Amino acid sequence: MNCREVKQVIFLFTDNEMEETLLASFRAHLEHCPECAQQINYTRKLLTIVRSRCCREAAPARLRLRILQTMTRRGIVPE
Amino acid sequence: MTQPRTEPQSDFERAALPFVDSLYNTAYRMTRNPEDAEDLVQETYLKAYKYFDKFEEGTNLKAWLFKILKNTFINSYRKKQQSPPQSDFAEIEEVFENQVSEEATGQMKNPEDELLEHVLDEDVQRALDSLPADYRMVVLLADLEGFSYREIAEILEIPVGTVMSRLYRARKLLESAMLLYAREHGYLRDGEPAKMRSRDAARSGDTAAPPSEEFHHKAQS
Repeated sequence: MNCREVKQVIFLFTDNEMEETLLASFRAHLEHCPECAQQINYTRKLLTIVRSRCCREAAPARLRLRILQTMTRRGIVPE
Repeated sequence: MTQPRTEPQSDFERAALPFVDSLYNTAYRMTRNPEDAEDLVQETYLKAYKYFDKFEEGTNLKAWLFKILKNTFINSYRKKQQSPPQSDFAEIEEVFENQVSEEATGQMKNPEDELLEHVLDEDVQRALDSLPADYRMVVLLADLEGFSYREIAEILEIPVGTVMSRLYRARKLLESAMLLYAREHGYLRDGEPAKMRSRDAARSGDTAAPPSEEFHHKAQS
């Protein structure tokens, strides 16, 4: 595997979605390529930022009630 | 008359209601509108209840609910959703294309580690909002909801290979956008530590806040 190929499948590696067969040659490349190893660290950092900094909107309490009450009104929930 | 209920009663409610926050967050990011997001989630639950007998027990309920959300979004909300600022996206794509061509010519791009430190929460939000719907959805499913590639393929009803390529492009576009925004405020005010520019500093209403760039210019002249 060369640097270009590593870049193409980098997310498979950081997402733990890489197949065993590919994993061996991917790891072999990383062992002798500090630039790609650095790229992995950078990618992990980037994904951590996306996952942790994105604010998550909680459902308003009234939505939960609305869902329950609509089901009752429509009689689709057995009492 | 039936009393309004505040607690889940049926098996369906008990199993499905815990996902309401995840579904709402995704709906909100896709519709960019709180009212539409509420309607979309409510519609999702009603459809899910209606077809609950078609759900195979033991399979992934969360993924099944997200698939219904996705279909409802496409059928009812996609057309009316506000489009992102086009100028923003054109600029992001340009940064992205440059990055791709650099990579194609074998130039190893130096990871912009330092710039990453300057990314603020609102940059991430703005970058995500600037992505076209298909790309935004795949990032929401993978990075905010933690679905596997196979689950995303089921939810979006596309092959796993398409999930991989779409996620690749989506994250690269997201990266370009985040770095573009970080660069915008990273170099606008020279010499000022990045942390001072964070939302916390702005929120604190600190009267000892560093003077604006304008002030610097006036002071120098």
